[in-house]
Formats: sequence, C-alpha cells, structure tokens
Amino acid sequence: MRIGILKAYIRKELSELLRSRLIIMVYLLPTMLMLLFGYGIRMEVTHARIAIIDNDQSRLSNLLVGKFEHSKYFDVTTTVMDEDEALRKIKQAQSDAIIIIPASFEKRLLKGQTTQIGVYVDAAFPSRGSTMESYVQGVILNAASALIPSAPKGSIVINQRTLFNQAMRDEDAIVPGLIGLVLLVAPAIIAALLIVKEKERGTIFNFYASPLSKAEFIAAKLIPVFLLHSINIFILLLWALYLFEVPFRGSFWIYWLASELYILVSISIGILISVITRTQIVAVVLTVMVTIIPGFMYSGIIMPISSMVGMSRYEAHVFPVMYYNHILYDVFLVGEGLTSQKTQLYLVILAVYVVILLSLGTLWLRKEIR
Amino acid sequence: MGMLKIDQVSVTHNKRRAIKDASFSANEGEIIGFIGADGAGKSSLMHAIAGVIRFEGKISFQNTIYHSPSEAQILKSKIGLMPQGIGLVLYDLLTVGEHLDFFANIRDIRQDDRFNEYKNRLLRMAGLDKFIDRRAGNLSGGMMQKLSLICTLLHRPKLLILDEPTTGVDPLSRIELWKILDQIRCEEGTIALVSTAYMQEAAQMDRVLLFDEGEIIAQGCAKELIKSVQDMTYVRKPFTTPHSMSTLDTTYSLEPLEAEHAEPTLEALFFVNALQKNRILPSVEITPRDGDTSFSSVVMEAQGLTKTFGDFVANDRVDIRLCRGEILGLLGSNGAGKTTFIKMLLGLLPIDDGELNLLGKRIETAKDRQELKSSIGYVSQHFALYNDMTVRENLHYFASMHQIPMDIAIKRIARYSEELGFDGYMDAIPTELPLGINQRFSLAAALLHEPVILFLDEPTSGVDAIARAQFWQLLVALKEKWKIAILITTHYMSEAEFCDRIVLMRDGCKVADDTIPNLYTAHPNAKTFEEIFLEYYR
Repeated sequence: MRIGILKAYIRKELSELLRSRLIIMVYLLPTMLMLLFGYGIRMEVTHARIAIIDNDQSRLSNLLVGKFEHSKYFDVTTTVMDEDEALRKIKQAQSDAIIIIPASFEKRLLKGQTTQIGVYVDAAFPSRGSTMESYVQGVILNAASALIPSAPKGSIVINQRTLFNQAMRDEDAIVPGLIGLVLLVAPAIIAALLIVKEKERGTIFNFYASPLSKAEFIAAKLIPVFLLHSINIFILLLWALYLFEVPFRGSFWIYWLASELYILVSISIGILISVITRTQIVAVVLTVMVTIIPGFMYSGIIMPISSMVGMSRYEAHVFPVMYYNHILYDVFLVGEGLTSQKTQLYLVILAVYVVILLSLGTLWLRKEIR
Repeated sequence: MGMLKIDQVSVTHNKRRAIKDASFSANEGEIIGFIGADGAGKSSLMHAIAGVIRFEGKISFQNTIYHSPSEAQILKSKIGLMPQGIGLVLYDLLTVGEHLDFFANIRDIRQDDRFNEYKNRLLRMAGLDKFIDRRAGNLSGGMMQKLSLICTLLHRPKLLILDEPTTGVDPLSRIELWKILDQIRCEEGTIALVSTAYMQEAAQMDRVLLFDEGEIIAQGCAKELIKSVQDMTYVRKPFTTPHSMSTLDTTYSLEPLEAEHAEPTLEALFFVNALQKNRILPSVEITPRDGDTSFSSVVMEAQGLTKTFGDFVANDRVDIRLCRGEILGLLGSNGAGKTTFIKMLLGLLPIDDGELNLLGKRIETAKDRQELKSSIGYVSQHFALYNDMTVRENLHYFASMHQIPMDIAIKRIARYSEELGFDGYMDAIPTELPLGINQRFSLAAALLHEPVILFLDEPTSGVDAIARAQFWQLLVALKEKWKIAILITTHYMSEAEFCDRIVLMRDGCKVADDTIPNLYTAHPNAKTFEEIFLEYYR
C-alpha cells in the first residue's frame, strides 16, 4: 500500500461525493430511515379513542369510567347513545372501541350477581385490536378488584413484570434494532456505487492501465465511505438518546468499536456487489435486496431470533445484523458489556465477516476488461 | 530486434473472436497506425498490449515477456493507454488541475521541479493552462481529448497506446493533439500505437496496420500500401460491373476498366479488400416516396436565431436557409454552437430571439412547433434506438409514434430495409450490429414519416470508410429522388466536399455560407477543404 496513491484516490472520491451532492444522501438517508421507522413502527397503543356508554350513571359506573379516563392508553368520551349509533361510530373510524355499561350495573354487583359489560373493539388491524382488548380487560379487572374488596382475594391476580424495558416503551425495543438496520443499508449503497460508477463511465480504465494494485484500489474505495459513515455512528446515537430517549446502560467504547466493525462489514458487502455488477442501477437494487430485507427480518425488531425456528434460524445466523444487534441491545438496555462471552464472540465474528468479504472482493475484482 | 514484439496474439471477448493471431513489432520512437472498420479488432489488440484484457499468445516489451494482464502489471508504469471514447477516462466533476494531480499521484510520480515544468509545458501545448479550474464536464470534446492525452503522457510512458483519440474531434483540436503527441514522443523515444478513422492521419505515420474481421491483413508504410492498390482505382464511372464499387468520386475495380486512374488514398485499401473478399454492397436504389415532392423551394428559413445560456451566447444572430433538394453541411469546431443551433431548428430548445419559418409559415406557438417536428427527420449523434428491441420492432415503434397507419408502415419498412440494405438484420438487436448498419437503420427510422427536412448530427462519426461512402450515396440519392433538404454536421472535411453548400460556425456566429467551388475561389491557397476550414480559425 502506497500512502500517496491512497491519499490521491481518497481526495478524488471525497470531492466527487461532495460535488455530486451524494454527500447529502450519506447523511440524510440514515437519519431519514431512523426517523421514519422510529416513529412509524408502533406496537403499543396509546390514546385509543374509546366511547363509554354509561347506562347506569351510578357511583360504581362512574368509578369505572374514571379508571379509563386516568389511563394514558385511552381518550375517553362518555355519552349516552344507543348501541347502533355507537357501532356506526366505529364503522366511520371515529372511535376505536366502545364500552357499554348496562343499566343495572351497580345493583347487580352489590347483590353479588354477575354482570356483563359490552366491549366492542375495532380489530381491522388484528394486533392493534387485540392489544386494545387486553388493555380494556386489564382496566376492568383492576377496577373490579378495587370496587369490590369483598371479592375473594387471589381470585384475580395479575402479576406483570417486564425486564430490561421496564417502561415497556416501543422506542427502547425498536430504536437499537434500527441502528443495526440503517448502518447495514446506508454504507453498503454508497460503497456499491463507487466501483460500478467507474465501470459504467469508463474511468475504470485508469485503474486497469495504471500500476495500482487491487488491494490499493479496494482500500481507496473503502476508506472514504468508512470515514464519512463513521460520523453517522454518533449521529444515530444522538438521535437514539435524545430524540427517542432510549436508555444507554453499556459501554460507549463497545458501541463504537462494534459499530465501526459493522460499517466495515456493510461497506464490504457494497464493494462485493460493486465488483460483480456492471451498472449502477443493478448494484443499488441488489444492495437494497441483500441488506434491507435481512436487516429488517433479523434485526430483532419484528421478532426475536430466539423465537425463530427451522430455516429462518439458520438464515439469521448467516447475516451479520444478528450479531451486531445483540451487542446493540446489550449496550442500550442490558449493559453487561465484555463480561458477556457472547458479546466477545460476536465482536470476533463481525471482524471475521470483514476479512472474508474483503478477501472475496479483492479476489473477484478483475484488473482487466471482462 | 524490436523493442515491442507482438507474437500470435488472439483475443476472445464475450465468446467472440475479436482478433486472431496478430503479429508485429515496433522499434523505439516508431509510430504505428491502426486502421480498419469498426469491430475489426483494433481496440482488442490495443487492450491486449496495454495488459487490460486476457489474451492468448505472447507480447514482449523491453525484454519483459507477458502472456496475461497480471504478468503485464510490472510494465504498467511504462505504458500509457488512452481508451476510445471522448473524455472516457475523465471525471466530470474534477477540474483540469485536479486531473493532473490525480493522474500524477496514482502513478506515484515525484512532483519535483522537473515534473512541474513538464506538466506546465503540456498544459500550455494543450491550451488548457487558462482552464486549470474548469471542471472536465464543462470542457468541449476537443479539450477533453487533449486533457486525456496529457494525463496519459504525464508519467512519460515508453509505450503509448491511443485508441481513436481524434474521432469526433474538430480539425483544429486534432492538429493540436497531433502536435503534442509528435513533440513528446520524439523527445522521449516513445513507441506510439494510434488507431484512427482519418486516413490523412494514418498516412503520416511510420507504418500502418490494416485490420479486417479480426485479422491484420496488410502492413507497411502508407506509400507502399497506397501503391499496391493504385491499379484498381479509377475516376468515378457511372455504371458498375460486378467486381467494382463506387464512391461519390472514385470507382474501385479488380478488373481493368476503360477509365482514367485516380490518385488513391489509404481508404482505397478497404474497398479493394472488400472486393477481393467478394463483399460487394448492392448499389443504392431509391424509389420515389409516397408523398408529393412539390413543396416550396425554400424549405426552412431562420433569421437572427439567438440563444443564450446565462451570460454565455451560444448562438448569436445566425441566419440559415435550407433549400429543396440541397445538402447543407454545418461545420465548426467542438463547442461552436452547432448542436444548440440544430436543437433550436428542431424545436427542442426555445428560441431567444429571431424567427424561424417552415415552408413559408412562421413557427410561433407550441402547435407550430409540433408541426415542425412532424416535418423533420432527425438522426442524432448516438442513434436513439431502443437496444432491447429488434430492428423491426424499433421501426414499428417509430412508425406508430408518427401515427402512420400500420399497413403503410409495414410496406414502407420493407421497402426501406431493402433499399438502405439492412433487410438481412431485421430481427437482430441493435447492439449486435455494426455501426454502419445501425446508422442506416436510424436513417430509415428518421424517414418513416416522409419528412421534408433531414437533420443528421455527425452520423458518420466512427463509421468505416465503405459504410460512409455508401451512406453518402444514399444521401445524394435521397436528395435527388425525394427533393428533401438535408442538414448534416461532420468532422470529416473530406465529406464536406460532397455538400452542396457549407455553413461554417465559430464561437456561436456564422462565419461562412457558400458553395464549395466559391469557397475554393475565395481561398486560392487552399489545396483541401480542411485548409479552408482552418483559415477561418486562424
């Protein structure tokens, strides 16, 4: 490796990136993906619009309504209307759920008779529907135990405890996974463009006809993207910590090291694609296909790797995103750091990825017309 | 013992034998010209010698023998390659100065005083010293080629390989390119291999290799080669025998003819070779067109046409008149404003000032412009064909674009394909075809709607001599039978002589507009049209 040559190439790549405005994409794309997915994916339901038809208007029914009103999950409107009208409101998407308290609610309860509360939930989106349903149940059971202390103790016991994400905030579960997705996609796309652009334009002849070695050429293409995207590691961390308010319990240094390694993996994938394709459009489409889909599937955003079975489990282990995300969730939510042998192993695995991918890229790169 | 020795080199590219068993050698300081049709194997052999493509056989340079690109790696610091294509190796977004730094750096040249002096001299010779900060993307074609050349010369290569450096470059820039090349290669004792489409350039070189269908079929100095075909070259005879071929001014025949001999050029080699291999092209026959030909004698007239881009005046008050049955040649150096002018005539660029009349009617509204487009046939520099469709599908597509009824379109396509001589290629994909065939089929596409004007933007650039000669015969026949007006731009000054009238542009202005004989009278010292052209630029 001759430093002078590398510097010349890097300077050239940087000024081209700058002048072609591709630099905007380098910094806009990761942030955009982060904001779009970070705000876009919501598993929990808050502010569900709920209409309560209180036909009883008693002390107990008021208490029950109050429970709903105090929940952050519901926006309550209490009305008196007939059932058909309420159902129409759901159809018109003006209401997400309806709770109907029967006229004899208090009387029957005090007499120790069973009473029925009508609950209608809009389940057009099944997962949202079932989430709302369980919230409603939770609130009602909770209210029931408060209302009737005479009820046999222990008959309703809900003992929920969530670990690592005690607040059960979606951001905490999604945002670290998003960093794993974004840092896989964005550097790969830019890197994929770099070599294939020269092929398409014809300037690749400058490499063919010069004494430049293959390793030098790859290094010259890798370093500029690596430097530019290294900054994204910090930008994304800032978004996570201050915009999405995700806790950070691990070591910053592990986050940094793992992320730099991971960017190298991503760039190596891009370079490999760049080496085997001939046109920019094919390179971009291929990169998006091999990064976004596995990046999303195996990032742990949608489902945890441990719950995967069969082929998908093996596939998850083939793509680097799983290893990085394990480290990410650790530094953000758990904080075990290097004391965990898994983290140590996964760092090594990421480094192995870099070595293998770059060796393949150098091997497959041809210094001749094909 | 030659310094460069090519021994039985063959190149197979994309499963096609591009060049077979080529052998030649060259000594220090020699310059060797590669001539031959498009696809004859010139570029492939150049790539093999430069060590950028896999080949069979053996090449030795300065006592180093190589059989593959990887073995050639150690020689790359001594070799300079400039591949085919205007500005191909340049980065549009980098400035002239940045290019020189970049090329010096990737070759690890020590940038001492001696180098800087050399670099500045190259810049001055190329006339680029005033444009150090201009981006390559904003240079004219001629300037791009000069920049590519000096970038290739920066490391003082001992073997210089230039693939058609002058194709598509105007005569003035061409002369400057040759000046730089000759000066540097003589100082450095460089072996230069240069392919060219201009026979006058080839004639100036020490030796010429003639390529045909992947083989070197003749080599020697230009004089010897020309002499060998002198007996078969005659002044044009209007009739043809089975073993003869004619251009607009010369007839070539293997059998003796009852005619005066003409002075051959290197081009004659192609014709004689084609005759010997019995590749005789059918003579051009054009039948009268379907529509009438009795339109007015002035087909198009433009007055004071002006176009400005910001502060830059691309066209300054240009007048032009296109007459019925006339071939008008539009000449000028790269960047003189020819393309802008044609785009205004085509209605592709709005006119800033001046007026444009088509068949006596002024073009003003968008509807007028639509009408303008339907009366013009246009063949662009890079034949606008769809490379995913066959020739037949392309033509059907163009026909339906012009809303020609299918039955008429099919008849016309069949007739044109026969008359323009590409009926054997109707089901081929354009990219598989030689440039000459694509050129004729683009012409057919432009004529499908029977326009009254035909615009041709450098249609013959990169096309070989025989195809070019045929193309011109076609144009002349079209002019005579169809009475249409033809406007053509070209960088081949020898072709300009076939035009009825010449308009010469410089810096966006018209500097000459006259017939060929009148121009020769006005410039009594000029022996060729190229010299007349250059007088307008001095």
